[in-house]
This record gives sequence, structure tokens and C-alpha cells, in this order.
Amino acid sequence: MAGIWIFAENHKHCLELLNPGQKLAQKLGSPLAIFLWQDKELIKDYVSHGAEQIFVLPPLAADQTLEAYVPLIADLARREQPDVFLLGSSLRCKEMAARIAASLNTGLCSDCIAFNLNDSKALEMERLIFGGAAIQKVICVTSPQMATIPAGTFEAGPAQSPGEVRIVELADPLPSVVKLIDKKSNAHQSANLTEARVVVCVGRGLEKESDLGMARELAELLGAEIGCTRPISEELHWLPEDTCIGLSGIKVKPELYIGLGVSGQIQHITGIRDARIIFAINNDENAPIFDVSNYGMVGDVYKVVPQLINELKKTIK
Amino acid sequence: MPNILCCFKWVADEAYIRASAGKELDLEWVDYKISDYDRNAIEEAVRLQEQYGGNVSAITVGKPDDTKGLKDALSRGPEKAYFINDSSFQNLEPSQTAAILAEVIKSQIDYDLIICGEGSSDLYAQQVGPRLAEILSIPCVSFIQKLDIEQNQLIVERKVDDGVEVLSLPMPALVTVLPDINSPRIPGLKDTLSASRKPVVDIGRDDLSGNFESCLQTMAINKANMERNGIKLGSEPQDISQLVDALVKQGVIGGVK
Ligand SMILES: Cc1cc2nc3c(=O)[nH]c(=O)nc-3n(C[C@H](O)[C@H](O)[C@H](O)COP(=O)(O)OP(=O)(O)OC[C@H]3O[C@@H](n4cnc5c(N)ncnc54)[C@H](O)[C@@H]3O)c2cc1C
Ligand SMILES: Nc1ncnc2c1ncn2[C@@H]1O[C@H](COP(=O)(O)O)[C@@H](O)[C@H]1O
Repeated sequence: MAGIWIFAENHKHCLELLNPGQKLAQKLGSPLAIFLWQDKELIKDYVSHGAEQIFVLPPLAADQTLEAYVPLIADLARREQPDVFLLGSSLRCKEMAARIAASLNTGLCSDCIAFNLNDSKALEMERLIFGGAAIQKVICVTSPQMATIPAGTFEAGPAQSPGEVRIVELADPLPSVVKLIDKKSNAHQSANLTEARVVVCVGRGLEKESDLGMARELAELLGAEIGCTRPISEELHWLPEDTCIGLSGIKVKPELYIGLGVSGQIQHITGIRDARIIFAINNDENAPIFDVSNYGMVGDVYKVVPQLINELKKTIK
Repeated sequence: MPNILCCFKWVADEAYIRASAGKELDLEWVDYKISDYDRNAIEEAVRLQEQYGGNVSAITVGKPDDTKGLKDALSRGPEKAYFINDSSFQNLEPSQTAAILAEVIKSQIDYDLIICGEGSSDLYAQQVGPRLAEILSIPCVSFIQKLDIEQNQLIVERKVDDGVEVLSLPMPALVTVLPDINSPRIPGLKDTLSASRKPVVDIGRDDLSGNFESCLQTMAINKANMERNGIKLGSEPQDISQLVDALVKQGVIGGVK
């Protein structure tokens, strides 16, 4: 038995992973399979993106969460012996991947940002370590070779004319003792941020939540989206968590990034390395952000930003 | 009254790595620290003990000379530490660390709750916690931002990509914590002094029976170079207009609605 397996939480991410999955499947001569639950309408879409097998997971009871599938998926992997298992790196899938890997006694490359097949047909996978200060290249010497892959790492391929498909309906999982009591959804925003041409990023250099007004005014003037550092979203909760830029947040690649009171710790910088121009305002001339900036302004955001807004108003008509 | 175990890692401080010159990764002169979010793991254990009683131990896998980390951890409140150490216990990958922790925990630690950080500051693999739970066959919830105990059940709030879930689970269990679950206290002089008197259980390679082979092999580690030799400006009016001119020339502003 063999297989290249894909598991991700949402449709878009599934399509993204099917693309490299399909290439691997061709090179390794192994069928491409994807997991599905809820919406069977998606089968067609997955098949036209290369899936040759669909594992259909049974519906979950109201008090169960996706992780309840872990034993089921691990058992299936023990039987089918896939070569490669790629999962999306959403928070939920990270936990699932680690538990499945432990259950199968195999290695897992977390947050893999690139990979290629070497001459002995092993995946050489790259990931960031030390907050992004270094890149580690690993191979998994056990089977299956597993990786979690962040959203946006790959692009979905074009739809092709669908081939044959094998649909496998899986049995009900045993209910997990972890029970869902309540769920609060948050409104999503970050799609705009990852595609934004200009990003204004707010750091802890801002003293209070109402000072966001100043950042918003600047952003509006530049047609920018607002992002932030982790303390702003996770500790202060001034902005939604999906606007956090960096290692544990999202990566942005704007033409212009403007950092307001951002110190430039490596975990944040990791998320902006693909920005074309980085401009930072910080009142500490030794702030690490200046090392990675194209333009660094040593000054107080409360003095600089209003002046900058005035100057920009004159320039942008 | 729960027995709580918190897992911490003693790691090279990445700030030194970034600042060091050259392309090679040179760990010889770096400073070490307790992995950032493991401070939250320790704090949460101590906070729970203050609220519900019970006891708190800390556990780490590392090199024999990582004793500074033990003292640091103990100064943050746990009353006892397990120090699993061997000169070969460096650069372990998550499956190895989890297997080593699991063997020691199974064979000699009584626990109701294990708390890990959401990810270590060096590897940030976010694996050791859930792997450990799987090997111990106990339930686990990762990325939690709130934790309570109600009638022997844990009630946790966990972050997912599209929101927050409230979950219940029986003990023994394992959780991994996000940084916003608490603000770690800063140990005072007294805490540091009392830390050196706390018991440490020393566990060597010979005390373990597993072979702990790695599943992931590291082929290379390269420093990521992100330095841009930019222009530094003051914040006088002429600096601001110089900047705006430069941004216009670069084509990144202007022509925007
Ligand atoms: C495993 C791990 C993952 C992480 N992931 C992320 C991540 O994804 N994203 C992220 O952002 N962080 C992340 N972090 C946290 C990161 O290490 C930093 O703590 C964080 O980026 C700092 O945010 P900050 O720059 O807003 O705050 P600070 O570091 O507190 O910096 C504030 C800056 O504002 C400046 N300042 C203060 N007042 C003014 C003023 N009036 N005018 C101008 N400047 C002023 C100060 O000089 C300072 O440089 C992670 C950490 C770890 C350990
Ligand atoms: N060497 C170690 N000793 C003890 N606990 C560890 C060790 N490595 C990782 N952990 C725990 O596992 C968590 C996740 O680590 P990682 O999987 O490396 O991101 C950390 O936050 C710690 O709580």
C-alpha cells in the first residue's frame, strides 16, 4: 500500500496542498488521497485538483471536535501505510498531526515552508527555527513522512478534467472524552492583510487602544490594511488575533510595511521578510527593527505620525 | 488537590543568534533562557496550586550543565524538579523529547495534569505536548488561554483558527498554554535563594531503558539573513519630507486613492 495523504481544515487550504501533493504522487507513483467531512459536494472539486482517493469521515456528534478523528486516522494509516502525509498548519491540525505522528511513531516537520524530493526519494523539508533566525532542513527517516504546511505556502493548481476516484467511507470514531461545551466564532479579516499592498503595523509602542485611531488614519490615507505584533492581539486584544504578523501569526508581503512602535523581535520580522520596503518608526535608536528596515526613523510615534499624515496629505491627492 | 507537572525547556536565546555576525550559526557564546512560553506553563501550574492546592513539579530534558535552568524554574514556584540529563540530550527532535519525558513520567511521577508551553522558543515545533499525551494515552487540549477545575474536570478555553472553544475533559490530562493565559511573575531574591534548597531528582541516561532514536534528521541549519542596510533618519520636519519623497520615488505611495 502507499499514498500521498492530505488533511486540512478548510477547502482553500486543501486545494493548496493538493497541488504539491499531485506532483509528489506522480514522482512517487503513489495515489493522492484527501480527507473530507461535512460537505460531499467538494468531492468533485478535489478530484479535479488531482485527488484519486477520498476518505470520507463520518459526521461528529455535537459535543465532539475534529480531534476525535485522530485514533481513526492513525488506524487507517497503520493499515494503508501512506508514504507522505501533509496536513495544514491550522492550530487544530497541528495538534492532530503531532498526535497522529506519535501514534505512528514517525517524524513530523512542523510548519514546513518548502520541500523537495532528493535522489533517494526522501522529502527534504525546510522550517524556521530560533524564531526565524535560522532555517533547518530535515528529512523524516520513518514512515509516513509527515509535515504541517502553513496556509499560503503553496498556490492551488488549476482545475483539470477529473480522473477516476475511489471513495472510502470511514467508520464512526469512538467519542473522545474531550467534550465541546461552547463555541464562539470570530469575524475574519486577514485575507485582506496577506494580499495588502501597504501594511501599517501597530506595536506595543502605542500606549492605549484609542491610539489605534492614529494608525487607522495613516492606513486609510495609504490604502493600507492594519496588522499588529503578537502582544497587541494576544495580550491586549486591541486587534483581532488573525491580524498578528509573524512566526505564530500570518506572513505578509506588501510593497510597503510601516512599523509603528514595533521593536523588531525576530519572531515578528519573520513575518515581514518578503515586504519590499520596510519603514519603521521607533524612539529607541537601537531597536532591532532598524537593522531590517529600508528606512528607519528614530522618533516618537506620537509626534511623527501626525506630521507624516500631514505631509502625505499634501503629496497624495 | 491536583498533582501538577510543568514541562520546560532551557534554550539558546534567539536574540543573540540574530545579533551575531556571519552566516554560520554559532551557539558558543549565546545566553540561555527558559523557553518563553514555558514561563506561562510554570506560572499556570503555580496559579492552579494557589487556587486548588495540590503540588507542582517541573520537569526538563537537557544537558548535564543546564542546571541554571533548573534553578530559574524552581524560583518561579514549583517545589520540586525532575532533571533528565545526558550529554547526548541536546538537539533532540520532538519525538525523542516526548519519548524520554513519557518514560520518566510513566515510571515515577504521579500526576493529574501536565502543562506544556504551546511551543518551544528554539524549535517551535509545537509537538512535544500532544505527542507526550498520545504516548501516555491521556486526553489533551492544545493552545488554551484559560483553565479552571470543576469537580475533577478541566474546563478550558482553547483557541482555534476561527474562534474560541470551551471544552471539558477529565484528568489526568495534558494541556499546552498560550502566552495570554497569565503573566508570569518575576522571581525575587528570596525566590532565587529558596530555589537552591528545593529537591531535584536527577535522572541519567542509565536510568532509562528506551533507545530514543530520532525520526527527523537535520541535514543543515543556515542562518536566515534579513538585514537590510537601510537609511536612518531623525524625526525633524525635513526628515519626514525626505522620507515621503523617497517612498514616492520607490513607487510605494502616491497613485493610491
Ligand atoms: C515562540 C514565539 C513566537 C512568537 N510569535 C510572534 C509573532 O508571530 N508575531 C509577533 O509580533 N511576535 C511574536 N512573538 C513575540 C515577539 O518575541 C515580541 O515579543 C513581539 O513581537 C514584540 O512586540 P512589540 O514590538 O509590539 O513590543 P515591544 O517589544 O515591547 O516593543 C515596543 C517598541 O516600541 C518602542 N516605543 C515605545 N514607545 C514609543 C513611542 N512613543 N514612539 C516610538 N516607539 C516607541 C520601543 O522602543 C520598543 O522598541 C513570539 C514570541 C515567541 C517566543
Ligand atoms: N527538552 C524539553 N524538556 C521538557 N519539556 C520540553 C522540552 N522540549 C519541549 N518541551 C515542552 O514541550 C513544549 C513544546 O515544545 P516544542 O514541541 O519543541 O515546540 C514546550 O513549550 C515545553 O513545555
